[in-house]
Amino acid sequence: MSSKQNAKKSKWSLDFNGSKNAELSSVSPPGYNPTALVNQNEVVRDQRLVIKKSWDLALGPLKNIPMNLFIMYMSGNSISIFPIMMVGMMLIRPIKAVFTTQVTSKMAEGAQGTGQRIIYILGNLANVALALYKCHSMGLLPTHASDWLAFVQPQTRLEYYGGGISFI
Amino acid sequence: MFSTGTLIGLLLLSTCSALYEDQIKKFDWRALNVGALKHVHIDLNNFQPRLLVSTEEQVVASICPKTGALVWRQVLEKKPRGDIKLLQVSGFSDDSSDTAAAPVGTTLGFDMLTVQGHAPALVRGWNSNIGTIEWEWSIFPLNTEKAEDAVWFYSNSVLYHVVPAWQSHLEVTAYFATSGHSTGSTSKIMAAWISPESCALAGTYFVCISEGKQLISLDLVAKSTQVIRTTLEEQQQQVVGKPKALLGLNGVVIVNGKLVSVNKDQAICSGLQGSSFAVGSFNYRKVLAYADLNDKNLAINAVYLDNCSPVPELQQSLELPAHFGTPSLKNFDCKLKRNGDGKSCVFLFSTNTESIVAIQQGRIRWSREEALANVIASEFMDLPLADSEGTLENEMKGKAVDSKSFERDIASAFLRRITAQAVQIRSLFLHVIGLGPPPSDTQRAGLIRDSFGLHKMLVLLTKSGKIFGVDNISGKHHWQLFLPNVQGFDNAEEMRLIVQRSSKHFPLQPLCTIVAKDAKTGNGVLYRFNPITGQASEGGQLQLDYKIKQLSLLPETEQDFVKAILILDSSNKVHVQPKHAEPLANGIYLYTADVKTAELEGYFVKYAGDQLSCTHIWNVRLGGHTSEQQIIGVAGKNPIEHVHSQGRVLGDRSVLYKYINPNLVAFVTQSPDATHKSILNLYLIDVVSGSVIFSMTHRKVRAPLHIVHSENWLAYSYFNEKVRRTEITTIELYEGKTQANGSVFSSLQAPPMPLVERQSYIIPTIVEALRETITERGITNKHVLIGTASGAIIEMPWHLLDPRRPIASSTQGREEGAIPYIPELPLPTENHINYNQTIARLRNIYTAPSGLESTCLVVASGLDLFVTRVAPSKTFDLLKEDFDYILISIVLVALTSGSLIVKHLASRKLLKQAWK
Repeated sequence: MSSKQNAKKSKWSLDFNGSKNAELSSVSPPGYNPTALVNQNEVVRDQRLVIKKSWDLALGPLKNIPMNLFIMYMSGNSISIFPIMMVGMMLIRPIKAVFTTQVTSKMAEGAQGTGQRIIYILGNLANVALALYKCHSMGLLPTHASDWLAFVQPQTRLEYYGGGISFI
Repeated sequence: MFSTGTLIGLLLLSTCSALYEDQIKKFDWRALNVGALKHVHIDLNNFQPRLLVSTEEQVVASICPKTGALVWRQVLEKKPRGDIKLLQVSGFSDDSSDTAAAPVGTTLGFDMLTVQGHAPALVRGWNSNIGTIEWEWSIFPLNTEKAEDAVWFYSNSVLYHVVPAWQSHLEVTAYFATSGHSTGSTSKIMAAWISPESCALAGTYFVCISEGKQLISLDLVAKSTQVIRTTLEEQQQQVVGKPKALLGLNGVVIVNGKLVSVNKDQAICSGLQGSSFAVGSFNYRKVLAYADLNDKNLAINAVYLDNCSPVPELQQSLELPAHFGTPSLKNFDCKLKRNGDGKSCVFLFSTNTESIVAIQQGRIRWSREEALANVIASEFMDLPLADSEGTLENEMKGKAVDSKSFERDIASAFLRRITAQAVQIRSLFLHVIGLGPPPSDTQRAGLIRDSFGLHKMLVLLTKSGKIFGVDNISGKHHWQLFLPNVQGFDNAEEMRLIVQRSSKHFPLQPLCTIVAKDAKTGNGVLYRFNPITGQASEGGQLQLDYKIKQLSLLPETEQDFVKAILILDSSNKVHVQPKHAEPLANGIYLYTADVKTAELEGYFVKYAGDQLSCTHIWNVRLGGHTSEQQIIGVAGKNPIEHVHSQGRVLGDRSVLYKYINPNLVAFVTQSPDATHKSILNLYLIDVVSGSVIFSMTHRKVRAPLHIVHSENWLAYSYFNEKVRRTEITTIELYEGKTQANGSVFSSLQAPPMPLVERQSYIIPTIVEALRETITERGITNKHVLIGTASGAIIEMPWHLLDPRRPIASSTQGREEGAIPYIPELPLPTENHINYNQTIARLRNIYTAPSGLESTCLVVASGLDLFVTRVAPSKTFDLLKEDFDYILISIVLVALTSGSLIVKHLASRKLLKQAWK
């Protein structure tokens, strides 16, 4: 009966005549709706957003590659201040990023965190590789024998000779 | 095309190493020489006192009789064309036979006249005040061979040409001296007794010694020729050789140090004995002066010719330094003064060391060292260290020697350092208060090593056996040495100057050695001396009892750091000097080259059981199938050379490794050929194994040949007969893109045959000498110094001589930095390292490293001596001369003080802000 009445009353009405049981102690303050506290739908939506954002972050370096390729193509292989600056930036930025992965990944700790981290690092490494390739094609890497020529020691001679035109 | 042009322009611009105007004579000096005296005419009573000379080096010059400085000099043609046969000066002070010559300034007479050469014989009239040729005429004899021995004399404005046909007759032709017109036909005088060994011309007389007992003479100007026989006084020994004419007296000859007159009209004073005589005038009387050298003491005496009474005013004696050798009186003259006390008389001597010495009032007024006109070897010696640096050096050395007991060593080294520094402070203190030890001789002379090693002692060995120690900065002669009775070796091989110990071993003195041949016995002679002081050391002269065939330098010994000399004697035995270094001779290879047969022989020296043995291991015959080839050039590498870069970077950034065989020697042979006139062959031979690495033939090409061989390249110049020009061929040897053995080089383990690059260039000048620059570590680029016949030295960068210069302009060549091939080598005037300081008769260029890696010291020798330094890659290790020290110190001080002030201001501002 009473429950029926309760149901008819508005949901804001309080029933002080309810049985005094263990539930009472955990009774919520008036107006408190435990279901309203966590909107399950919204939580799910947020988390998806976070994952999406962090994937964006993780894939960022990879997405940079075409752009970098274009810059590389445009800057040419001549050694002058701007290409050098670009190559320097291309090389230093990903390395810095790799070292700050820990900080970046703090924001995106989740189920896919490890994967994202790996992708992020791989992307940066790809960028480093690209920069190195650029250095190589610009001739900045000591990959040729001629780059080590200055360190080649002269051959030591084993035999010594003397002589010349006969004095007699 | 435009780009190539600009590229070359840029490269030339980058290599140009010309001096700035204010750098002239800053690092270089030139000494002018005339050579050993031949004819001398001294005239102190002229309007302008003058000393006119002609020399063995075909030079006519005027020397200031007061100072010995050159007034003017004319270098005539080379021998035989320039060989001066007569120098005749017309003047009033000369003897009676010349008075017919018209006075100076008239068109009939002449001031000075020279006769040179024989085919053609050139007669030239000179203006003796300024040294210009005023007129010239020549005759071309019918028989050029006979004319070679022709003699000329001058009498009464007529010049006589005497052509002897030995054992037969004399042909005498007279010409008017100034016009060259013959006065009549050639007269033939029959004289069957004449021979080249015993005859000479004395004035107008042709005098021969007959069987050592009598003189047979002919008066060539007499109307009827008659044979005059003069019996010589009783002589102990037979007279050998030619009689010597006494200039100034007609028909007087010197035989065995005594005067003999064959001219009836010419009385002489008998009983005079001297090694040399000269006639001059003193107080308007004719005087005969004679000089003798008795154990360093030179005595000059004189007699009046008319009554044979001695002239006490002219009598004098002085001590002549030993390095002048034996002097002979050439001429003398006295200035006419009211009080004829003989103090104004100048006696002119020439010595067998090719010096010219002027003596006045018993003192040497001046002397000229003409031996320097014939420099045959040169070495740059480091100067000794200053005392303080010497102790420091000692300390370093002590450290290096006993490094075994490490712990103790640190303590002792520390103690040594402290004591060394205490000594330094003490010496500095003593020096400041003026109580220090007196500086040594070398210190007083300013002979202290400088921090860059640019100041060195230049040791010069000359053909006459005289050795000079010359300061390479100031040109001062610090010491002279004379080695009597030595000469160069056969096959035109000169005496050798060898550095046995350098100045780097501080408490031990440096040691140099002259290796020569004894003039009498033909055996070897060694002379050891200290190149800084010029004093004999280690016993000085050492006469060997065998003939030297070849020699080699051994590595340093452990105890006294001497590089011993290994000598191969004529019986193919080996000897080591000094003897204690014998074990080091083990395993040395020797080779000898026979010039005439073009045969090479290789020897191996072994030391076993305290015995040196020498085994003949190979021989190579370069004579060709007709055995006509003769070796005209041999070139090894400089033994002190360091090669810094082991390869060459190509356009694709790979490396082409250099083939650096230290045992490689280049031989060039020449032979006549029926179809090609003459053929030149080049052989590159490894003299350890005897294998021929490379050979090349040039047709229609001949000497003069000059070679320079260094690192992995070779450049040689020759004359191309077909197109009549001088060319330079360059060769580079490469191992390939890989090195067979990167650590050691052994000729015996058959290294692979090298790749050879070659190219020829036209050089639009005549090359007289070639030499490469050398530096301490070999990092600096190598340039080739080309000495030309015009007396210039051109610095030629190697990349212009490079055999890899591409024929067609290719990208690879451009990447490599090679200039496209152009046959003619440019000779821009900026590359003349001696700018306008022409070196007459340039013969050789010597180079030596300095203490600076960038700088190479150069000395060029010929008739003149030129010393300078070059920096092939510019002075990259040195601040520029015009570096603004003041500006940079002002900027530094201003910046430092500015930052300090600003710091102070900033802290004050911060404090103020904090109180607000």
